Amino acid sequence: MTADELAAAATTALGVAVTVEDAYPPLTLDVPADRWVDAARYVRAELGCDFFDWLSAYDALDEGFAVVVHSYALERHHHLALRTRIPREDPRLPTLTEVWPGANWHERETFEMFGIFFDGHPRLVPLLLPDGFVGHPLRKEFILAARVAKPWPGAKEPGESEEGGATGRRRMRPPGVPETWGPPE
Amino acid sequence: MPLTDVQIQGAGGAARLAPEPIRFVLNWGRKYHLWVFNLGLACCAVEFIATSMGRHDFISLGVDPFAPGPRQADVMVVAGTVTDKLAPAVLRLYEQMPEPRYVISFGACSNCGGPYWDSYCVTKGVDQLIPVDVYVPGCPPRPEALLQGIVTLQHKIAQDSLADRRRRSPWARVRKPPAAALSRPLLAPPTPGPADSR
Repeated sequence: MTADELAAAATTALGVAVTVEDAYPPLTLDVPADRWVDAARYVRAELGCDFFDWLSAYDALDEGFAVVVHSYALERHHHLALRTRIPREDPRLPTLTEVWPGANWHERETFEMFGIFFDGHPRLVPLLLPDGFVGHPLRKEFILAARVAKPWPGAKEPGESEEGGATGRRRMRPPGVPETWGPPE
Repeated sequence: MPLTDVQIQGAGGAARLAPEPIRFVLNWGRKYHLWVFNLGLACCAVEFIATSMGRHDFISLGVDPFAPGPRQADVMVVAGTVTDKLAPAVLRLYEQMPEPRYVISFGACSNCGGPYWDSYCVTKGVDQLIPVDVYVPGCPPRPEALLQGIVTLQHKIAQDSLADRRRRSPWARVRKPPAAALSRPLLAPPTPGPADSR
């Protein structure tokens, strides 16, 4: 099935406009957020993608967050990705744990990394981050304060450590870190 | 039971008063019998294991692999990436080790955070948690580097005076392990939520 045929079949089955992108494998179905679970059921039942591979998201800045789920058809041997976009202001999406139970932990991780809420998830609590961690580290606006907390202990340039002493250049800060952050000089 | 601070055992105050030859003999005996505890957290642990095997054979240096746990160990080798999530566990294991205890930080990650120094979740060096005696650089270090680190540690032990070590260590002033650290039971598993589907 080509990309166009797949787009036509999915559009007919779901009753909404579905676009298919095959710029880079696997084929990616773009569906609206309100048909997210229906699309997943369609992919699993009609396209045979019974193996849940992974689910994650990426921060597309002005276009909101894109949530992606990769699945695989064990019998027909093909990959398929399903993607939707949700707004930054209200990042919310129904859970896919009813379709693929394996999505449970992936949605928990996406929840803590991006702050995306999955409605209907059986236990939406942080999975990997340490207790009391504040913020969503994979959002673009998250400031990597690591360099401020502790300067890089080694030489930044070749030969720096042999000469010893400061090179007089400004202390490196990661992009986006305010000038006033960090310990007093 | 009231919790009191643990009086650190060891050779005791007499070791400081012992004449130099006796101290030499004591330290000579200690430095060639090191029960090692491998805190393997990432790929460096594989290099550590390679060092313990026949080709590199750190047993010939008097290092005994492996202590059954931290409570029987003299040396802890932190091999791998320490994350903030794991930091309490690393501290807990260190507190369970009896004095005199030594720590070798093995590899770039446990030295300073290594390639993950920028990360939101990686501890920037295990020395932010526990005092480190010897740092072994590399990513990962070759087994020979760990052998060199062990020899360096043995030099350090040879010049050791336990009382001085305790007095000098900023660690002893900052944080004395509570008695509960040595007697507390295993951690309980987390209580599952009402709708836990894990």
